[in-house]
Amino acid sequence: MPNYKLVYFDGRGRGELVRLVFKAAGVPFEDVRLDDESATPTWPGEWKAKCPFGQLPTAFIDDKPLAQSKSIARYLAKEFKLAGNTNWEQARVDMIIDAIDDISTEVGKFMWLTDETKKAELREKFNAESLPRHLGNLENILKENNSGNGYFVGDSLTWADLGLVNLYDRVGGVDALFTNFPLLAALNKRVRDLPNIAAYIKARPLSPW
Amino acid sequence: MPNYKLVYFPGRGRAEVSRLIFKAAGVPFEDVRINTANGEWPGETKAKCPFGQMPVLFVDDKVLAQSKAIGRYLAREFNLAGKTNWDQARADMILDQFEDIGTEIYKFMFEKDAAKKAELSEKFNSETLPRHLGYLENLLKENNGGTGFFVGDSLTWADLALANAYDHLGGTDAPFANSPLLAGLIKRIRATPSVAEWISTRPQTPF
Repeated sequence: MPNYKLVYFDGRGRGELVRLVFKAAGVPFEDVRLDDESATPTWPGEWKAKCPFGQLPTAFIDDKPLAQSKSIARYLAKEFKLAGNTNWEQARVDMIIDAIDDISTEVGKFMWLTDETKKAELREKFNAESLPRHLGNLENILKENNSGNGYFVGDSLTWADLGLVNLYDRVGGVDALFTNFPLLAALNKRVRDLPNIAAYIKARPLSPW
Repeated sequence: MPNYKLVYFPGRGRAEVSRLIFKAAGVPFEDVRINTANGEWPGETKAKCPFGQMPVLFVDDKVLAQSKAIGRYLAREFNLAGKTNWDQARADMILDQFEDIGTEIYKFMFEKDAAKKAELSEKFNSETLPRHLGYLENLLKENNGGTGFFVGDSLTWADLALANAYDHLGGTDAPFANSPLLAGLIKRIRATPSVAEWISTRPQTPF
């Protein structure tokens, strides 16, 4: 078993999907969380120069670096058989991950605003217009796969399903946003109830982002 | 051989890497270009797209969306993705970086305020782009001195993405003045017969 190290900041952000892949697979890894805010920050420190694009997350597999969160997650998912069983299935998983990432990016446009009024206004608009449209598309895709009572792709867990769990937290961790998307809501719950995932969610550091 | 149909706007945009993959692999495909001007888009096409967006790829009657998922699927089908999981991941990472560069360009490409657009464009060209290209030049150098390909010892879609970025960055050698290895790889890829022929015969488009 190679030695795995994930280096990111102390939050979910772009690192959490990678952490979920490790946890779902039951594969141990060093979960390095750097700080760039305190008086003695650990980022950039000596880490930045080791990162292929000078950014986090970066994973080190036996000290060999891999950058870009989705590429890291995909590499690991493939290693741990959580990526889809055929090239076509893997492509459908990739497609769903990219769509989820697009939604995450939209959240990123307002979640860091310091103007609380503007932030609330944009979040309200997102929740009312954009998010339902996106979730509707994902609900349809899920439904197309064995009526949506299993997983996003094929008949076993893939990192696309973990992506949904991560998205739920990203948009606020609120069931109400999924009221009109029962298949997605149920899939989110099913995956969160998996023993490895449930244990991790219970034990992981709480983070506002 | 399945029937391939790639559907996008009349431009390079988010479909060109996939077109280059087909061309480099010598695999025929239907290159469908949908116009917004005459109402073709959204027309009946939008409803066939899983996320209401293009590009989409039809493989026989199955559909795939999201440009990078499409590109990666095709690259893997045609052995242009990387030979091992690790090589594939390194190629993926490079594709992601090009996506990030593209995101930076979009920030000012659609800016309507001319002064602001000029300011953002200046910052991109003097700071952001050189920084990104610097990282990519280093990565290329790490692979056998950088005189071959980005990953492993044969063409992958990461190399095609670089050749494509050349056009997105203005179609001149200027941005690569300080990245000789990248410039060399771009030249090599664009001179490959199948790629050269496509570049010279494809529709000329502003994006």
